[in-house]
Amino acid sequence: MNVVIVLLALLGSVWLLAVVEGWTTTGRLSLSAPLLSGLAHLGRESIVPRTPDRLFFEAAPILFLIVAVLGVTVLPLAPTLVIADLATGALFINAALAYVLVALIMAGWGPNGAYAMIGGWRFLGQLIAYAMLIVMPITAVAMRAESLVTTVIVASQESLWNIVYQPLGFVLFFIAAMALAFRAPFDLPIAEGELGGGVDAEYTGVRRAVLRLARLTLVVTLAAATVVFYLGGWHGPLLPPWAWSLIKTLAVAVSMLLVGRYLPRIREADLMRWCWTLGIPLALVNIIIVGLLVLVVS
Amino acid sequence: MYAQAFFVAIFGLAAIGFGVWVFRTSSMVRSALALLFSQTAVGCMFLAMQTEFLGVLQIMMMATEMSIMAIFMVMFMMDPGGLGGMDMTHQKRFSIGAGVIAGGVAIAVALLADWGPVTPQAPDAAMQTRELGMELLGRSMLIFETAGITILTAMIAATAVAIPVQTLANGGDKEDSE
Repeated sequence: MNVVIVLLALLGSVWLLAVVEGWTTTGRLSLSAPLLSGLAHLGRESIVPRTPDRLFFEAAPILFLIVAVLGVTVLPLAPTLVIADLATGALFINAALAYVLVALIMAGWGPNGAYAMIGGWRFLGQLIAYAMLIVMPITAVAMRAESLVTTVIVASQESLWNIVYQPLGFVLFFIAAMALAFRAPFDLPIAEGELGGGVDAEYTGVRRAVLRLARLTLVVTLAAATVVFYLGGWHGPLLPPWAWSLIKTLAVAVSMLLVGRYLPRIREADLMRWCWTLGIPLALVNIIIVGLLVLVVS
Repeated sequence: MYAQAFFVAIFGLAAIGFGVWVFRTSSMVRSALALLFSQTAVGCMFLAMQTEFLGVLQIMMMATEMSIMAIFMVMFMMDPGGLGGMDMTHQKRFSIGAGVIAGGVAIAVALLADWGPVTPQAPDAAMQTRELGMELLGRSMLIFETAGITILTAMIAATAVAIPVQTLANGGDKEDSE
């Protein structure tokens, strides 16, 4: 039963996010726009480029969607509303989302197109920049909860949310999550202006629809992870726990879209330099501060 | 018990199958990703053997490591797409002999070694994670820290060796010295 509820919540969140995305880009608020856009994709010819690596070309969108959904399986909507409450939940979400990279490399290599390939390899470079800033803030979160279990991590924030307890970790994780979801200003793998769509460029029709769905699902998954790790998960007054989880997740997802609208695309060299010379030292400082706080408090 | 053995066997066969594919394809990217999925299957074997932390860690680490290896293979091979019909194998007789001997030794060790009594009940996953952490930060800390420093040193040394030496032989004009 939990599986159905969580997947429906995920689907609903993706739909709402698509509505907001359409609203911010076209200026029209239409609840049916994502559905019509999806149907339009399905109605279009799904072109296969000349001499592709067919296996990668076909598998990439599906793998992308699967791993984005797999990430949600360990994220609780409420104390008992979680698909798999794994003992290694905080690690599992990293493991699942590491395969976003594999999917994008396949999507880049598969179509046998220069722009797509550059986009795919660019994301590999992007991973080298953001990966540590995903893992190290989560380490500090797990240190406070003394557990990798996501429900325990949320329970540990009952008195004080992690965004207050470790604000530095939140900022780093939020930025890294946006880079993982390749939202603007970190949309280097697709980079409309310079790569003409990058990894998306050669995909049309139903395959493109799956790619778009997977990308929005990834944003929701990362927003839900941010809520679980930093924003107290299901904790909140008056409303039921699941409602708080959903409201917070949507708020974080929308904030990711909004931040991207007001910032120019970052250069890959700058991203790499800032992440390694500024981000990782700050993440280490965050771990030290949280470690001291945990020692002092306990 | 039987279900566990079944899944260990399935993932084991998948690991071997992807491992064979590594050498059956001419494309560098296919080869690297086949190795990635072979290692992922090994991670799934860990999961089937109820070692959750090791399994998840293996699955996570291999995705990034093998992808990075893929880009190096593409960079350094003359025919990364395999469109020229390049052969992935070399020194065939030697490698077949080495493979057969190594495989035989591995099977002999698996069959002949005294593995001790079978654990009737594995501790739950949370306890395993805790005990692994205690082991890594306790008795085995020196070994792992030494290994970590060694790998880091090797990485720095390899990078230093790989960077072309810039001589200032031509009156300090760097562009001519490459």
